[in-house]
Amino acid sequence: MTERDDIDVLAGEYVLGTLDAAERAAVSARRLREPALAAAIEAWERRLGPLTETVPPAAPPEGLLARIETRIGAPTGEGMQRFLALERRTRRWRRVAIAASALAACLLVVIGLRELSRPQMAKTYVAVFQKDDTSPAFLLTVDLDTRVLSVQAVAAEPQPGKSYQLWIASDKQGGAPQSLGLIEAKSESTRRALAKYDRAIVERATFGISLEPAGGSPTGRPTGPAFHARLIETTR
Amino acid sequence: MGERGEVPLAGTTGFALSKSVNATAGTLVALMHRVAARDRQAFAALYTATSAKLYGIVLRILQRRDIADEVLQEVYVQIWERAGLYDVTKAAPITWMAAIARNRALDEVRRKKPLSIEDAPEALNLASDEAHPLDRMEQSEQLQRLRQCLERLESDRREVVLLAYREGMSREALGQRFARPPATIKSWLRRSLLQLRDCLSQ
Repeated sequence: MTERDDIDVLAGEYVLGTLDAAERAAVSARRLREPALAAAIEAWERRLGPLTETVPPAAPPEGLLARIETRIGAPTGEGMQRFLALERRTRRWRRVAIAASALAACLLVVIGLRELSRPQMAKTYVAVFQKDDTSPAFLLTVDLDTRVLSVQAVAAEPQPGKSYQLWIASDKQGGAPQSLGLIEAKSESTRRALAKYDRAIVERATFGISLEPAGGSPTGRPTGPAFHARLIETTR
Repeated sequence: MGERGEVPLAGTTGFALSKSVNATAGTLVALMHRVAARDRQAFAALYTATSAKLYGIVLRILQRRDIADEVLQEVYVQIWERAGLYDVTKAAPITWMAAIARNRALDEVRRKKPLSIEDAPEALNLASDEAHPLDRMEQSEQLQRLRQCLERLESDRREVVLLAYREGMSREALGQRFARPPATIKSWLRRSLLQLRDCLSQ
């Protein structure tokens, strides 16, 4: 029995539905971090999917759509996907950014805002860096438990002879931006450990990205046009 | 595409092609994109086009309308939330949606006490074997192909696969039904799955 067979059988039983509750839960968790298993599951969903054509349809009760629409209209956070939260908040943030863009000019504008904390949730925070009023340029996520930050360039053009630089500013540390290093505009993701900043600082800090001469700011402070963002808690 | 309705597969688990999604796959893809863009009208249209199929799927597994009602709501909430993650290159929209529905229903049914043989699928008597021309030739061909591969399995093993997939029967319930220990069912499943995989990749 090869390893591939083992994965395919596990994925096949998952899709077939014959795993018990504990096994299902384990596979559900593993598929999120094991691409080979996730791909094997998707392959079985495609292979066996045609069988659903042979299941007689049944009319759901009247009024179910209205109940669903109520539920999606008033999200409670429960089961909310991080992507959705991000997307919705991106839009809200865009409006703020448009309003603020006149003020932003060449400054790192500091807006620190911490939403109500929900302690039972995983503490992941997201910030959206706005290049202009149409598309986010960078997405930043912070996992507060591990204090690992990652920045993803979404629509940031690499600028010849320039570098993007990431900053953190905290009132608790005097409010002046401190460099967190340069960001590769091309790479998928830049990660930084924030171990030297404690949790309370990270949680309330404001992050900024500025466009600097190649190699970073010569002064140790942001000198070029900056994008600014606040951290927003997401539910997962 | 001649013999639709009747199929040479075992009795209680015989195939019956069903009235399902009337929208074409292309329409569903367009709707999915609009749903991903938070278009509520598109979401309502998607629900209208697909809810009978998904309800049929979850009801078949859960066998109780009250539970199926709740699960179907959760399924569509998930579809709304995850629409942005739908990848047209990986699966047809209905395949993706059906996978969400089956997963949710299976999670639910596995959390509960396994159904005994007395509560077997016939209890709900859902079947309505009306033959119906499929709108999507492509899907039909996939089903034809799957059927050919299923027919190569021994009949007991084929029935196990179908009862598991469509009725959501657990290994224990299947063991009862076929008078075998669950471990035997597990080894049947293992062989059947590998055989199916290899047959479908030919």
